[in-house]
Amino acid sequence: MAEFLYVTAALLLLLTGLGLARMLWGPSPADRMMAAQLVGTGGGAIALLIATASGATAMIDVALVLALLAAFAAVALSLGEPGTQQRDGGANS
Amino acid sequence: MSLLPDFALMLLILIAAVWTVSARDRRDSVIGFIVVGLLLSLAWIRLNSVDVALTEAAVGGGATGLLLLRACARLGPNETEGVSLKVSLRILTGVLCTVVAVALATIVLYPIEPAPTLAPTAAAHMGEIGLGNPVTVVLLAYRAIDTLLEKVVLVLALIGVWALTPDPLWGGAPGSLRAQHSSGPLTFLAQVLPPVGIVIGVYLIWNGADRPGGTFQGGTVLAAMWLLVMMADLREPPEIRLHTLRRLVVLGPVVFLVAGFAGFWIANGFLSYPPDLAKPIIVLVEAALALSIAVILGMLVAGPAARAPR
Repeated sequence: MAEFLYVTAALLLLLTGLGLARMLWGPSPADRMMAAQLVGTGGGAIALLIATASGATAMIDVALVLALLAAFAAVALSLGEPGTQQRDGGANS
Repeated sequence: MSLLPDFALMLLILIAAVWTVSARDRRDSVIGFIVVGLLLSLAWIRLNSVDVALTEAAVGGGATGLLLLRACARLGPNETEGVSLKVSLRILTGVLCTVVAVALATIVLYPIEPAPTLAPTAAAHMGEIGLGNPVTVVLLAYRAIDTLLEKVVLVLALIGVWALTPDPLWGGAPGSLRAQHSSGPLTFLAQVLPPVGIVIGVYLIWNGADRPGGTFQGGTVLAAMWLLVMMADLREPPEIRLHTLRRLVVLGPVVFLVAGFAGFWIANGFLSYPPDLAKPIIVLVEAALALSIAVILGMLVAGPAARAPR
């Protein structure tokens, strides 16, 4: 069973790696951020599989943190889009 | 187990790292950096260093990415022009980096036999501290002075950011973190996620005593939850003149220092703990530190004051 889980993790890594191509090509920052999100999701899945296969339950916490913080960078990117960066409350208010 | 997947992971990290360095657009670089952080945490998992993997996932994937993206948004589109380095300087930087990388690789591949290590001594005395996680034992008992100074540096960093405030605005609140257009999904996320995230953050802090986890990881998760609430405009960033805020910022280092000086009376000296009280003291210090880290990280991302105090 452990072998099967390791192979699945390797396969997931391969697919996540293919997703990285989107980060290299882009073209828009949103595309790249989606690729980063995919690495976060895939990374969480890989961490879970390795945790189960190796019996090191602490690794589940890593998957937990990855899943929890995955949405963060995307939120920050959407706030930092060029059109929205003149926030109110600046020195001129 | 074949090493092939590990080589694939290494290759991915290298590709992402090279792309991060060579990307033209600043924001693309930051996204690349986040990806490198996520991949690195997988590499740490494969090396069985769960504590480092957790830190990398929380700090590299979450907090640093957020901080850098905020900095990008603040800088505006054209400010990198004119800072492109000379070719000779670039080549020099590349050569020096290669030398460092090759030297590190040599040390790892051809270690001194037997490798100098304190691990057996460290493990032998873990029972006296009463904690189960060797990383926490090293961080908060054996090398507590390093950890203390590290937390003081965080406070100094925040003072540095606050020092950028223009004089008339001193004491006011940092600029709002929200987007111009409020978005339903973001508000929903900021209402649903924090209760879960706070539990996970507290869990990581509590877990740090006996299993992988700890103050920095937990504190970062707490800070991320607070930032999400601020980004969704459910709460404004607090004014930096508030005494409660400032007390929270120094709470961790102060509790750590008090515990350290108490060591003169109840144990053998500065930052030493009596064996039967070691665990309660360390857990107390960790809890205070995590709270301070969460507040400091949140205020670091929020930036200097941008509004006059009310």
